[in-house]
Amino acid sequence: MFGDLRRITAKIAAKFKRKCYGRTFKCPVCHFELAVVDAGSNRLIVCPVCGVVIDIEEVYGHAVPVVLEVELYRPQPKARIHPLATHVPIGLYPFAVLGAVLLAAGSLARPFFPAIEPLLTRAPVLADATLVVLVLSVGLSILTSASGLWDWNRRYRRRSYRQIRLKIAFSVLFLALGGIAIALHASGAVFSAGTGLVDLGSTMSVTLAVIELALLAAGMVVIATLGHVGGTLVFGK
Amino acid sequence: MMDFSPSAEQTELVERARAFTREFIGPNSMEFDRSGEFPRDICREAFKQGFMNPHVPAEYGGSPHSVLDHCMVLEEMATGCSGIATAIDANGLSQYPVIYAGNDDQKRRFLAPMTEELMFSAYAVTEPEAGSDVSRVKTSATKIGNDYVLNGIKWWITNGSVASWYFVLARVDDKPTAFVVPADSPGIIRGPKEINLGQHASNTVRVTFEDVKVEEKNRLGNEGDGFKISMKTFDHTRPGVAAGANGITKAALNIALSYAKRRRTFDKKLISNQGISFKLAEIMTGLDAARYLTYKAAWLFDQGEDNAREAAEAKWFAADVAMKAAIECSQVLGGYGFTTEMPAEKLIRDAKIYQIYEGATEIQKMIIVGKLMRMREVH
Repeated sequence: MFGDLRRITAKIAAKFKRKCYGRTFKCPVCHFELAVVDAGSNRLIVCPVCGVVIDIEEVYGHAVPVVLEVELYRPQPKARIHPLATHVPIGLYPFAVLGAVLLAAGSLARPFFPAIEPLLTRAPVLADATLVVLVLSVGLSILTSASGLWDWNRRYRRRSYRQIRLKIAFSVLFLALGGIAIALHASGAVFSAGTGLVDLGSTMSVTLAVIELALLAAGMVVIATLGHVGGTLVFGK
Repeated sequence: MMDFSPSAEQTELVERARAFTREFIGPNSMEFDRSGEFPRDICREAFKQGFMNPHVPAEYGGSPHSVLDHCMVLEEMATGCSGIATAIDANGLSQYPVIYAGNDDQKRRFLAPMTEELMFSAYAVTEPEAGSDVSRVKTSATKIGNDYVLNGIKWWITNGSVASWYFVLARVDDKPTAFVVPADSPGIIRGPKEINLGQHASNTVRVTFEDVKVEEKNRLGNEGDGFKISMKTFDHTRPGVAAGANGITKAALNIALSYAKRRRTFDKKLISNQGISFKLAEIMTGLDAARYLTYKAAWLFDQGEDNAREAAEAKWFAADVAMKAAIECSQVLGGYGFTTEMPAEKLIRDAKIYQIYEGATEIQKMIIVGKLMRMREVH
C-alpha cells in the first residue's frame, strides 16, 4: 500500500516537474537537474550547484551537454543566510498545522468522548499557541524570501533557473495562504475565543474551519516543495 | 535503372517518425532505461499516430507499410531509444506468423482487435535449452480430443508480461507446430522481468505453460509447419532488426558529432583532431553501408523475392556497425562517455543485443554460407 502511494506521489511530482521545468537534463558533473529552456538562445547555462558552464544541444531528443568552463570565483559566502534561515518557517509551520488539526479533532470528538472534556479546557491555550507559531512561521518566511532574493542576486547573478522561479512563485503563494489562515484563525470565527474549539452547531464556523485546514494543508505542500527544491540547489542531486 | 531517393510518401513518413522520436522517445529514454518500466504511454501515443502494427493487412483494419518503409520508421525510433522502439515494434514479430500462415478466422480474431485498441502480442519460441537452435524446442503439445495441451517453458519473451496472446512453437508428436495462445488461458505463468544489460524499456520475461489448453482452431497451418513458419518470420523481421541497429549507429554518430564540434581541447575543437574526426568518418560510412544492406533486404521482401541471405547480411553487419559506433561514441566523449548521465554508455549496452537476438551474428553467417554453398558462382 505504501509502495503504491509512493508511486502515485512520484508520478504526480514528475508531472508537476515536467510542467514547471519542461525538458530537463542532468549536469554531467554534479547531476543536478537543469531545464533546457534556461540555457537561452546561446545554449549556455551555468550549473547553480557546481558552477560548470555547460553548452547544451539536443540530438534526437537526447540532451548532449558539453562542459566548456568552470566558474570558480563566484560568490560563495561561507554562512549563507537563506539556506539557514529557511529552516525556521519550515520547522515551525508543521506545529501550527498540528495545533489546528488537534483543535479540529477535539471539536469533533467532544460530543462522543466526554472523558476528554478536562483536556479540552486547555484548547484556548492551544488555539493561541497555534496562532503564535503560525504568525512566526509565515512572518519569518518574509525574511527568508528576502534572503533568498539576495542569494539569487549575488550567488546566482540573477540568472534564470526554473527552480528559482518556482521558489519565488511558491513563496508568494505560501505568504498568501498563510496570511489568509492567520486572518481566519485570529478572527475567532473558526476557533472560538472562549472555548478554542469549532462551534459544530454553526454552519459558518464549520465551513471556515474546513477552509482554514485546507489552506494550512495546501501551505504544507507548498512549503515542503520549497524546502525540497531549495535543498537540491544546495546539495545537488 | 536504380533509384536511391525516397518517395515523397516515404520522406513524409520518416519526418513524422523523427518528430515523434524527438518528442516522445529521446527525451524519455534515460528515464525508462533507469526505471525499467514498460513505456505503455509512449506505445499508446505511437498507436494513435499509426506507428504500431504496421504489417496488419487493410482488410483486418490495418494501414500497412511496406517492410522498407517500416525499416525507415524503425531506424528513426531506435535513434531515440532502441528499448522503447522494441516495445513499440515487437508486436510485428508475433503478428507476422499469423499474417503468413493464419486463416481468415484467425486473422480476424487476433490481428483485427490490435488495430482497434492498444494491445500487445509476443513471439514465444526461444527456450532455456533452445536459443539459436530453434529445432531443439521441447515444449510439447499433446492432442486430446479437439484440443491441444501445452507444457513447457519459453524464455526471454519480449512483451511477455504485457501480451494479450502468444505465438508459440511446440512439438506435436515431435512435429514442430505453431499455435496462437490467448494470454488469459489457464496455466500460463508469466515470470518477472529480466534485468538485461540493455534495452531496459523492453519487457523480457519467462513464460511457463502448465497444461494450457489450446483449441485446434488456434493452430497455425498444419501440424509440422511450425519450424517453417517461425523461420519465414525472420525473413520479414530481420531487416527491421538491422534498422534498429542502424538507429543506434545514427544516435552514436549524432551524439559524438554534436560533442566533438563543441568540446575544446588543446585550444581547438575536438573534431579538429584527426584521430577523432576519422572515427566519425568511419561511423558514417558504416551507417551508409548498413543502411543499403538493410534497405535491399527489405526491398527484396517487398518484391516477394527470397531475401534470407540479404536479411542475414544486413542484420549481422548493422549489428556490428552499431556496436562499434557505440563504443567509438563513448571514446569521443572521453570520461563523459563512461558516465551514466550521458547517453553514450546506454548505446553500448543497447547495441549488444543486436548481435544476439533474432539469430546471433554467427547464425547469420551460417545462413549466408548456406546460400553460398548452393551457388555455382557469385555474380
